Amino acid sequence: MVLLPIDTVQHAQPPASPIVEAVLALLHQKVRQNYAAHLAGGGAGFDDFVFGSPDCGISRADMEAVEATLLASGHRFDWSASISVQERPDAYKGGGDSTANVMFENADAVVGAADAEGRAQCGQGDNVVRYDANVVGTARYIRSNDRVLSYLTDGVPPGTIAIIDDSGGTLTAPIIDQFTGILCAGGTVRSHLGILSREFGIPCFMNAKLNGIKDGDKVEMEASAEARTTEDYQTGTERTGRVWRLEETA
Amino acid sequence: MMDTRSLTLHGLAIKRHAAAAAVASLTGLSVEAVAAQLGAAVASGRAVEARGAFTLTPLARVALQAGYERHFGNLREDQAFQIAYHGFERINPELKQVITDWQTMNVHGQIRANDHSDQAYDDKIIDRLSAMHERAETVLAGLARGLPRLAIYGKKLEAALDKAESGDIEWVSDIHRDSYHTVWFELHEELLRIMGQERVE
Repeated sequence: MVLLPIDTVQHAQPPASPIVEAVLALLHQKVRQNYAAHLAGGGAGFDDFVFGSPDCGISRADMEAVEATLLASGHRFDWSASISVQERPDAYKGGGDSTANVMFENADAVVGAADAEGRAQCGQGDNVVRYDANVVGTARYIRSNDRVLSYLTDGVPPGTIAIIDDSGGTLTAPIIDQFTGILCAGGTVRSHLGILSREFGIPCFMNAKLNGIKDGDKVEMEASAEARTTEDYQTGTERTGRVWRLEETA
Repeated sequence: MMDTRSLTLHGLAIKRHAAAAAVASLTGLSVEAVAAQLGAAVASGRAVEARGAFTLTPLARVALQAGYERHFGNLREDQAFQIAYHGFERINPELKQVITDWQTMNVHGQIRANDHSDQAYDDKIIDRLSAMHERAETVLAGLARGLPRLAIYGKKLEAALDKAESGDIEWVSDIHRDSYHTVWFELHEELLRIMGQERVE
């Protein structure tokens, strides 16, 4: 492993601002890689590296990657001119929770027209354990840190069926116990999230394939479906619970 | 060696949403030191406090993650540690299966929640957990040789198993305590961060 001189300066205080610290940490990571490549290519040392290429090989694309990483983490930038937020609502505070507007459109989702009771199938998933009854709630995509933080502070709206795509439950860990149901796009019934949901007694489908559910839609999970077993995974046997969108009757 | 600040934030990242005492217990730092660091993290926008516990902000998570190679680069290249890590990953699916079997029961061909009314069934699963733990001990020792702080996990796992074996079954997988599954999951999270790996499932 190649370290930069700054990495071993014990008394170097981290930057006061978290955004400066995050940006610097990401850039240093890239500079370390470039420095390692410089040494591997026969470069003499750090002086040789920095004076040979004053930008340390950091390109525009690297800076764009830094920005993309910050946005992907759920961070949104402060703006100084309102044109910024108008032009790039996804990147700035106050641009709205655009992650809630996405809709999973999995081609493998089984979909159908509404039945006599107004239930239209919008997909299916691997039931982690069988319950006596199905569960009905409001679908909410939980993909942004802002949403998790606001739910953490103000509580998850009652009757939330969370739609998430992280089977490790990293983002949703602090609020998972408040969900009425969970639809997770990844993982298997043995995933950490599957284990957690069983522990809380919250109906949960893993490996959920969904299509046509919008944030705020009323949905029903077939929690009474048979659970998918280890043998099912080994033999490739499909055994799924259905998910329906319920037509508003009001 | 991670400094107190980094180790506190690292511990909180593993716990995800936790009070100072829990982060201290995981990292081996004192509660006072952790509380001071968490207070500073909240004041500078690196953590938020909600419902009596802390969680990292996105920027703090990014900075922490990007700094891991600086802290753990040597371990990533340490062959003995790599072997121990791969040993853990080999046992991990088995642990998840044991916990899944602990939580569920096959009743007339249906997988239902285990209501823990059948002690013979529960005993059998705890036996499997004990046997698995015995095999994991070599791995845990190997991990602690590479990074002494990791011995904390081994001690917690053993304590949880002891309690489960003596009949206090909440220690198998209960979420609100350092149950066997809780500690195992946290160790997995720790190792993924150390090794710079992503969770597969």
